[in-house]
Amino acid sequence: MPESAALPLEVVDGQALDKKYRSILRPGELVADADGVTRRLPRFFYEVPSWEAAMDIRLAPHFRLAEFIGVDVREAEPMRIFPRYVPCGVSLLAAQLELFRQNVGTYVHITANGSYRSPAHALGTIISPHNWATAADIYRIGDDFLNKRPTLQRYAKIARELLPTCWIRPIGSEPGEADDHLHIDIGYATLVPREAAGEDEDTELLPSAQQAVTAGAETEEE
Amino acid sequence: MSSEVTGGSSLLKQIPRLAEKTEAFAVAFYDYATDCGWTIHADRWFHAASTIKIPVLLGVFGAIAEDRMTPNSRVHVRNRFRSVVDSEPFRVESGRDANSEVHDALGQTMNVEDLARHMIVTSSNLATNLLLEAVGLEQIQQTLRSLDVRGVELLRGVEDENAWEKGINNRVTANGLLDVCRLIAEEGAFGPELSQQMLDILHAQEFNSGIPAGLPKDARVAHKTGEISTVAHDAGIVYLPDREPYVLVVLTQWEAGAGGRHDTIAGISRAVYEYLTEDEDA
Repeated sequence: MPESAALPLEVVDGQALDKKYRSILRPGELVADADGVTRRLPRFFYEVPSWEAAMDIRLAPHFRLAEFIGVDVREAEPMRIFPRYVPCGVSLLAAQLELFRQNVGTYVHITANGSYRSPAHALGTIISPHNWATAADIYRIGDDFLNKRPTLQRYAKIARELLPTCWIRPIGSEPGEADDHLHIDIGYATLVPREAAGEDEDTELLPSAQQAVTAGAETEEE
Repeated sequence: MSSEVTGGSSLLKQIPRLAEKTEAFAVAFYDYATDCGWTIHADRWFHAASTIKIPVLLGVFGAIAEDRMTPNSRVHVRNRFRSVVDSEPFRVESGRDANSEVHDALGQTMNVEDLARHMIVTSSNLATNLLLEAVGLEQIQQTLRSLDVRGVELLRGVEDENAWEKGINNRVTANGLLDVCRLIAEEGAFGPELSQQMLDILHAQEFNSGIPAGLPKDARVAHKTGEISTVAHDAGIVYLPDREPYVLVVLTQWEAGAGGRHDTIAGISRAVYEYLTEDEDA
């Protein structure tokens, strides 16, 4: 399996994983989100060999990979045992959080179960960007616990201004709202690293795409 | 106050006098040395207060016995729960828990065994609700049913004020708690290893002004207290040197603000101890 160019992690095609993992990760499967809108689950994952590796690897200057894969007993058992798999889109989230982190100037803490959750996670009865590893639930920023409305409002305002393409969950206790954490997500984004496997070999390219492949090859030769 | 007494001894006449300041009381006793027991009002229902945490402990270890989790399984520490009445969110007040260790772990994870220890040893309400949520209320109810535990009604988490206002409370009888304690003491629920782990947790109890306060210093008690404004309880297994253990459950109901609660439970514990050891000395 190819290793990511930037990260010391192997990029794996979820569809090539053992059935045990495929049944949990459901790579590339079409699902419906809370609004009934169909989405395709991520297909490419970083393979995380150990907790030590997760602690060592930084996805951004202030964020370790481990911070995005903290789960509890409600996660499906194979997803609690290394090697673990996290969608490659996690690095997009880390980049956005890094911007936020640099602006607030202090530690940004993601809750357990607060970033990547597999579709089999017991909290995941509704499909959400957490299943893409593109959402983070932040419970503490520096010494501020985000369980009071004024504190939440202050940081939500910063996030909305700084990350206009992100979605910040409304503050409140009704369904769809949050009152004890700040939820930031970048939507259903997927990332396909250059070293990721291609589509199925028996997929036929359209003539225009075939021309592009040829042109690309010629460009690389130059 | 009339006493419906099962069994018989002078002790059973003494206990109502010791409990005369209560609005209601119940006692259940079982002695492994003689294989005998007796009860007073032992099928009367009381608000369980924190004694419900013993059945919850049993339910948690039931989940471990069924391989649905391990003592090392991690649980997300989050102080936000839903009322069983209307799903309104509520939180556990940190000031009501004896130590802040569980509250300090907000946002992180703690393992099941540590949470169970906090639930019993310092009576952490937050730990209790986290375990109830992680294992599942229905699952724990099912475990209690499968063990044929009667006299325990586990209906909700702790500090669910909306449920309390609707009169939906966890309830116990002295016989119910006696059954639970005996299951643990006799390793009858999930085998010796898990029973010993439950006993170790109950032995580490830090609130000792009830049953243990009526006993000599060399007694060891695996127990759990429970107290709210109108009830004070203690239930546990008493281990004395060179003697088989006995199980004692004392449930008391009081006028709000009434004093002498711990002394009453300790007094009953002392009377039971003296009766047993006098008999043996004679």
